[in-house]
This record gives sequence, C-alpha cells and structure tokens, in this order.
Amino acid sequence: MLTIWDVIERAKTGEKIEESKFDMSIFRAVQAIRKDYNIKYDPKTPIPADDQMADEVFEAGLRLYLMVGSYCTNTGRIIKFSEEEVKEALENAPAELILGEGEDAVKMIHRNVEGSEEPIVAGGIQTAFYSDKEMMFKIYKGCAEDRCVDGIWGGVLGSIDNKYEVLAGAPSEIYGYRVATEILRQAIKAAGRPGMFIVNNSPTSIATIGLHDREKGLRPCDLFETTGISELKINYDDLNRSVWGLIHNGALHGAHNAVIGGFSGSIEGAAIVAVAGALHLVMVNRANNVRPGGIPFKTKSRAMRAHIWVASLALQALSRNTHLILDGSIGDHPAAGPGTRQYLIETAAGHIASTVSGGHSLGGTRKFVIGDTPNFGTPLESRWMGEICKGAAGLSREHANEIVCKLLAEYEEHLDNPPRGYTYDELYDIEKEQPLREYAELYEKTKEEFRTMGLKFKN
Amino acid sequence: MSDQNEKLLNELKEAIINCDEAEATELAHKVLDSGIDPVYSLQKVIGESAVIIGQKFDDGEYFLPHLVMAGDAMMAASKVLESALDTDSSIKSTVVLATVEADMHSVGKNIVGMMLKASGFVVHDLGVDVKSSEIIDKAIALNADFIALSSLLTTTMPYQREVIDELKARGIRDKFKVVIGGGPVRQEWADKIGADGYGKDAIEAVKVFKKLSSK
Repeated sequence: MLTIWDVIERAKTGEKIEESKFDMSIFRAVQAIRKDYNIKYDPKTPIPADDQMADEVFEAGLRLYLMVGSYCTNTGRIIKFSEEEVKEALENAPAELILGEGEDAVKMIHRNVEGSEEPIVAGGIQTAFYSDKEMMFKIYKGCAEDRCVDGIWGGVLGSIDNKYEVLAGAPSEIYGYRVATEILRQAIKAAGRPGMFIVNNSPTSIATIGLHDREKGLRPCDLFETTGISELKINYDDLNRSVWGLIHNGALHGAHNAVIGGFSGSIEGAAIVAVAGALHLVMVNRANNVRPGGIPFKTKSRAMRAHIWVASLALQALSRNTHLILDGSIGDHPAAGPGTRQYLIETAAGHIASTVSGGHSLGGTRKFVIGDTPNFGTPLESRWMGEICKGAAGLSREHANEIVCKLLAEYEEHLDNPPRGYTYDELYDIEKEQPLREYAELYEKTKEEFRTMGLKFKN
Repeated sequence: MSDQNEKLLNELKEAIINCDEAEATELAHKVLDSGIDPVYSLQKVIGESAVIIGQKFDDGEYFLPHLVMAGDAMMAASKVLESALDTDSSIKSTVVLATVEADMHSVGKNIVGMMLKASGFVVHDLGVDVKSSEIIDKAIALNADFIALSSLLTTTMPYQREVIDELKARGIRDKFKVVIGGGPVRQEWADKIGADGYGKDAIEAVKVFKKLSSK
C-alpha cells in the first residue's frame, strides 16, 4: 500500500513537464477516451438515471487518471500510479467514518444512489466574514441549534479589535481564523451540542494547522480539509494539510473541481475529469472522503443545469463503482444571496441532486459573491440545507429530476443577474435571534411547496 | 486591396480560428511575401479572428483548450507579421496578470489570461501567490499597459488594494490600468479601492480590457 511519502517522492522524481502542457494533456486524453463510450449530456435530465452511462463515466475517469496522473506545481512533475495501486487504494478506503464525539457524534457512511439513509450535513456559512465576535457567536449558535445539521463550518473574523484587518498570509490570518474557531466551539457548547463536528479551513496550511487545539479549536474528530487544485494538481501547501490530517488519523476531506468549459473540453469531458479528480484526491491528497464535481466559470452558481449533470453523474459513477464516502454539496454555491426565494430554490436543486446521487453535503451554506460584506447569511439557510438534504433521501432519480427541472425553469434565466440578498441584521431580529416575519414566512411557504413536491420533512 | 490578397487574409483568419498554428505561420509568411501592409494585416486578422473566437467561446462551442490553441496560432502569425515592423510599433497591449499573495487559486486567472491572449493581448502570467511589489516591478520592467489581479478569498482581496496603494506610493498609479476580479470581488470593491476595471467573469473581463485599451 502506497504512503503519502511514496507520493511525495514521485512528485520529486516524476516526469518534468510545463504546467500548460499538462493542462493540454488532459484535453487530448479526454478527447481520445471519450470516443470509446456513449456518454452524452442531455439538458432534459440534469439528474440522469442511466446506470450504464454512470459506469462508463467511472471507467473513462479511471482510464484518464491512469493516463495523465497528477501534477505537482511545486516540482513541475507528474505523479503517476498503476491501475493496481489505484484499485488497492480504493479497496482500502474507509466506507464509514465517525465525525464528532460523545452524544453528538455521527457516522458518515458510503451512500448508494437513491439511498434512503440520511446524508450528513455540515451547515454554517463557509467563507463567512464576520463583523465582530458577538455577531459571530450568535450566527454560529443559531446554526448549531438546528438539529437537522450535523456539523458546522467556521469562517473568519474580519478584523482584530475592530481595528486591524485580517489578511491571508500574514500573522492576522492565524489569529482571525483561530478566534473564529474558538468562538465556534463556544457556540456549539452553548447550543447544547459540544461534541458536534466542526470544520474550518484558512487560505494557508500554517494557519489551518494552527486551528487544531482540543480545547479551543479543531479536534481529530472534526473534518480536516485538503483541497484539490483544478485540474488534477497538487502543491506542497495542500500536502501539508494532508500530512497533518494523516498524523491525526482524521476524516480528511478533499474537493476537486472539473472546470466546465476547461481542459475537459466538453460537458461530458467534465464528468470524466470529475471522476479522475476524485481518484486524484484519494491517491495524492490522501482524502478519505471526497467531493467530485465541477465548477462553471461563466455562471456564479454551481446549481446551473450542466453542472448539476456533471456532479450528479460523477457521484453516481463513484457511488456505484467504489465504496468511497462521497460529498455532493452541489447546492453550496448559489448565485442568489440569502433571504431570497431564488437562494432557496437554487440551493435546493443542488442539494436534492447531491442526495439522490449518493452524496452527503459537507460544503456549508456559502455564496460566490460575498465581497467584503460581513455577516452575509443567517442560520435559516443552514436549516434549509439540512431539511432539504435529509428530506430528499430516498427519492428516485426520476422524481428528483422532475423537481429539479421545475426549479431550473424558474431560476436559470436569472443566474446572470441574481438578487444580491441580505445580511443577518436585515433578515433577523438581532436581540431575539430569530428570523424576521417576512423571511420566516418565505421559508415556510417555500418549504410547503417542496413538501407537496414529495420531500419528506420531519416537522 | 486585390481579391487575391483579401482571400489570403481570410485564409489566415480561418487558420487562427481553426487553431492551426502551422498553417497560420505559413500563411503569415505568404501575407508578407505578397506585400500586404503588416499593420493592416495585424489589425484585420487579429482583430476579426479574436472577435469570432470570443463569440465561439461565449456560445459554448469553444472551450479553454481551443483558446490555448487559437492563442498559439495567433501568436505565431503575429510574430511573423511583427517581424516586418519596427519594434516600437507593436499595436498590442501588454498585461501583467497574477493571483495575489497568499492565494493559490489559478482557474479564473488562467481563463482570463487565455481569453486575453486569444483576443490579441500580450499576457505575462506571473502565477499564483505573487507579492504586490513583484507584480509592480514586472509591470514596470515590461512597460505594461495593464495590471490584472485575481483573488478568490475575502482575506486576500486586500492585496488587490495593496497593489493600487503601492502604485500610488511610488507615484506611478497613472502608468497602468488596474483590472480586478475573482469569486468574492464585486464592483463596489473595485470602486472602493480605485481599480480602473472589474469583470464579473472572464468574458466580461475581456470586454473591460478592450474598452480600457481604446481609451
């Protein structure tokens, strides 16, 4: 069985190649492989229900990965693996992981396509930027109080002492993320769930590693992050996170995006690269739970039709052909901002697709367009994420596709000019820590619509 | 211009659009041998092919690899045509492009770089995690027209401001047009830090560069 040190050694000794040539090698390999399969994007089925196509995408993704390997941007070398090595790693990957501890621990398992087991949901506002410690505590606590989410994403304090800007790569990054994580831990305790798993990830590995502290920071039972670089790339900074996660035998989560419109060369190619990306996360990042998927660069929403298809098909391919623990999180990057109907239906389309395709949803609630606006989100989006993900468990792909097509028909023409959304103080009564009437009504009314469409809510 | 010369320029344009570097190089030599004005050829062929390539990309017909290959064909043809010009008479704008310090994200930056190349800009991509002073020094050394800055993180956006502040501190703010972009970046941020342009996506970014070039 290969170790991370074998991988790092190959990063130092593999074939030397310019990065741009590696990029083009992906394009050429996908073009060559695609001809052997009947993989076809159909806009009418953003959630395809074709098992044979899913299996072909898996086979094509494996062939692609064996052909091109991974690229280390620090050394400029290719890291390659044999088919036996990849299959052995997949065989040895865990099919279940425990997150959190004590009464708040949850078991995250390999989910099947159309599986009836509820997915694990990490809510909270990923990438959130908070104005002050008090606001941060309120939002975190509100998120943790909702029992429909199993874990919470952290964020960062925007400034130190309301005076000094927090800047990535500077000492303030370590402090800003660390303070956020300390407050997150206090908040989940105040919410009565001291053992629930949390996750936070800062721009540099040194600051991420600095978050780990049993009392005030991340624990080995929390989710560790190691990010895949698009496409099929790795650098030493991410390997630092991997090594740290391995030292703690943690649940090491990796995410990789096949760029739709990128070197995959086509939408179908993006699905193939998404599968190869998951293998890259297992082999190089050493992740034991992975998010395959893509990212559209023309639209600031991952809930756009072609991406739902790419991510859903890649999840199905991996769910059917491996026992990997998969994260979908297709609804985690909507174009619309919080407090709007478009936010709710956009994220729901992605979450439903993730759930029926065999994925958990670990990406938190987040927005592409945050800018430097603090407190851009509320606990209600976390609740929505949890309720939709879990309410969609057990739906058939055909039924889910019908729902998602209906939602897309309403929002997809607004993806380029989405509603900006509102901040916490515009959507919540800050003193009572409850949503304002208008937002609460929008939530309940939209939830009823989803109930009539077939989602099963607990309340 | 004779019909034959017009035909030759159209063939060169087609070769670029079809991403055929070898054919584009050969046809560019033929253009020079035919005595067609190289400045006119550059303006017509590069300008028109860039519009068509951009349109194909916009329509989803072309993807990034096509931009790379079309950009290579365009650069090859330009190199041949420019060899007949005085070195000071280049009509293309130069862009120094980078993802700011402490930010490792490259996808958006790469797409913008490829689209700019395919649109006839000379692009110097400095990579990711690049210090503000390094970006400015390079822009000065290359006598660049543009500095393009990408940031995907809320906590790295301030480095976009740092570049502009340092340009001001060095007294050279007016020498470069600064265009910013990235996932969390918005027009309000561009206005706040005094950037000259902002593109919400790669396609819009190229339009911004073209608009600023014509000023």
